[in-house]
Amino acid sequence: MAAPLEGIHVLDLSWVMVGPSSGRYLADMGADVIKVESSKRIDPVRTLGPFKDGKMGPERSVSYHNLNAGKRCIAIDIRRPEGREIVLRLAQWADVVLESFTPGVLETLHLGYSDLKQRNDRIIMASTSLLGQTGPYAKGTSGVGTMGAAMSGATYQIGWADREPTGPWGPWTDAVTPRFIVASILAALHRRSRTGEGCYIDVAQAEAGIQFMMPAYYEYAANGTIPERHGIAGSPLQAPQGVYPCSGEDRWIAIDASDPGHWDALRVLIGGKLRDAKFDTIIGRLRHRAELEEPIAGWTHEQEAEAIEHRLQAAGVPAHVVSGGGDLARDADLLEAGHLNKIDDPVFGQAVIEGPRFSLARTCLSATRRGPRIGEHTKEVLAAVLGMPETEIAQLGESGVLV
Amino acid sequence: MLDDVRVLEISAPETMLAGRMLADLGADVVVVEPPAGSPGRRFAPFLGDIPGIERSLTWQALNYNKRGITLNLSSPDGNALMRDLAARFDVVIEAAGWGKRSPLDSIEFSQRTIRCTVTPFARTGPKSDYAATDFTVMAASGSPAMTGDIDRPPLFFPVPQAMMEAGADAAIATLAGLIARDRDGLGQRAGVSARIAAMMSAFGQALVPGSGNPESMRAQGAMVIAGAQVPSVYECADGFALITIGFGPVFGQMTRRLAKWAAEEGRLDRRIAEISWSSFISDLMAGKASPQDLQALVDGLKSLARSKTKAEIAEASRRLGLLASPVMNMKDVAGYVQYRERGLFTPVSLEAGREIDVPARFAQFSNYSIEIKHPAPKLSEHTAQIFEEELGLSKAEIQALFVAGGI
Repeated sequence: MAAPLEGIHVLDLSWVMVGPSSGRYLADMGADVIKVESSKRIDPVRTLGPFKDGKMGPERSVSYHNLNAGKRCIAIDIRRPEGREIVLRLAQWADVVLESFTPGVLETLHLGYSDLKQRNDRIIMASTSLLGQTGPYAKGTSGVGTMGAAMSGATYQIGWADREPTGPWGPWTDAVTPRFIVASILAALHRRSRTGEGCYIDVAQAEAGIQFMMPAYYEYAANGTIPERHGIAGSPLQAPQGVYPCSGEDRWIAIDASDPGHWDALRVLIGGKLRDAKFDTIIGRLRHRAELEEPIAGWTHEQEAEAIEHRLQAAGVPAHVVSGGGDLARDADLLEAGHLNKIDDPVFGQAVIEGPRFSLARTCLSATRRGPRIGEHTKEVLAAVLGMPETEIAQLGESGVLV
Repeated sequence: MLDDVRVLEISAPETMLAGRMLADLGADVVVVEPPAGSPGRRFAPFLGDIPGIERSLTWQALNYNKRGITLNLSSPDGNALMRDLAARFDVVIEAAGWGKRSPLDSIEFSQRTIRCTVTPFARTGPKSDYAATDFTVMAASGSPAMTGDIDRPPLFFPVPQAMMEAGADAAIATLAGLIARDRDGLGQRAGVSARIAAMMSAFGQALVPGSGNPESMRAQGAMVIAGAQVPSVYECADGFALITIGFGPVFGQMTRRLAKWAAEEGRLDRRIAEISWSSFISDLMAGKASPQDLQALVDGLKSLARSKTKAEIAEASRRLGLLASPVMNMKDVAGYVQYRERGLFTPVSLEAGREIDVPARFAQFSNYSIEIKHPAPKLSEHTAQIFEEELGLSKAEIQALFVAGGI
């Protein structure tokens, strides 16, 4: 069966992570996604690792492939009038446009929503930026996902009380925001199929981050408490719940045996001091938390993390290795799910990228393909999508528009 | 936008955000709880720090815009009602615990139904029967291993995240199923592994070994670049600020402007400010730049940050185009003029006579607006209404179900 978005055309003017990642979701669902790039203005994600075999190069970033898998790419200078006209013609072809320019930039290029809508009044256009398109600080503000995390309240709450906050790892809101963009676009496509009506969608990355922190926001808004960072993993209301050291360098097992049934199973398995009556109740376990942690850590620290995971799971206790990149790469759950896919790139050979984030039973999703090289599909798109004659394409090439 | 879409959400931590996002986008969402209440009602924090079935703030935050009913799915009565109800809805969202069959498995759904199931790990495979909680699924995602400092254990979010990641992807998977149905009229099953959803926030960690690179280690407090300790968060006059030193053609320009500002404020040697930060890494490798210069920049930024407030750093970041921002706490978020004036917030009732503003508008549309039409349902608030309207049950029949413990 055809993938859900087969026949849907997406013009992806975005770069770095949020926009491209949103486009990747749509490509996975079968949409034909054309990414606009330029060798004069390469996607900065091409300068971010991991690079294949650690060697830097714009065509060697595995992150680029992971974010742009299955897209086509045309290289044009959109600041040139001829380049701008190509964008407008692609907007006529497109059902969905994605962009992540600094707010205000597209308007100055006369490629804003109103310009695109003039050519295609059914268009669904999604803009994403750190703080959105409206509000006193919107115009001209650009930023990255670490800033989004900082402005969503997340960074403040992650870290050790005796040190500066460390925040979540990486440009966190770059992972959160695409979900809200994609859900909004799909809802808009559904509406359009009934009413013919397109729309403009504006998603601020810092605001999207707040969504995943809503309980903490409510704690302040309802109780007046500002949630602080506490360091240790695990809830202050649940014990045992935490990470424990295992044999080897920086190896940890996460154990959550706070539920009474799980606690009984853990206690039977480890025995020793855990049998003490003071650990019978949740109140006892919380009051004597440090004493509770010690025999658990004593039991874990000489065993291998994976072996502990298996022993605890066999006893029905929720536990998992605190997975690092190496653990993930060989994890049987991910391999079985087909989540890690080999790609073959003409420049650097083989690498592994991720598959789609969900599955559909009837209408398959697109097979995971590599991302495009800069301008790999320029001629193909101009000829087949826009019906441009070869002479015109050659002319554009000579005048430096197709760079 | 989804005003013709009807969703039955069998409440679980992983379904809460899914149902709410669909409700925010206009769907009619009915959340189904067991008679004792959804597990989500026992999630901290609690209103006034007093626990209670109607007092979970996590429940409130993730269930507004839904109506709520109770149904004992393991009773014959409840199961039969579920079957009749499901026939009247477009979408059913559920989370299947490990190793257990879903109570919905005995129901034959209509060909048009989209049934989305969230599982902790992949539904088939070696971990499909793993005992799991949000905490252990997050451990499996790859991000905690990278979060925090290498001399201490990995750190986790203080707010459960696997349920957020999985919920958001379940909303997307459901919508993908809906779009497919718009075409051919047929529903289908959709599946989300919470672990794979949560890997989104681990970015490409899983890909590092497969691309021929050594594994990364967590080192957020101070990343070591060319021997220099480069922090990401700096203490400032009234809290903390995030200041990033970036390199390369785009981010290097921002570092140049940052260094220039520090020099103008007398916190950094002018010579350091004039270094080409765009090419710093390649210059370093070619022996044309010195690691001491990077250390000098970090020291200058520490001194600069301590002399500025969060608001001043935010202002400079906007004015100069820097990779810098205030590290906001939830009070800052609640009061931030940008969020306020942009219309992020909308009020919701928390309890009788008490309203708070909620940052509800995760997206803004040219011809749609996310509104909070009603607060999270009280336990069983709409049971009688929905059974009467949808299934035509009489008042006596609804009472009989209650007496029998089915609702």
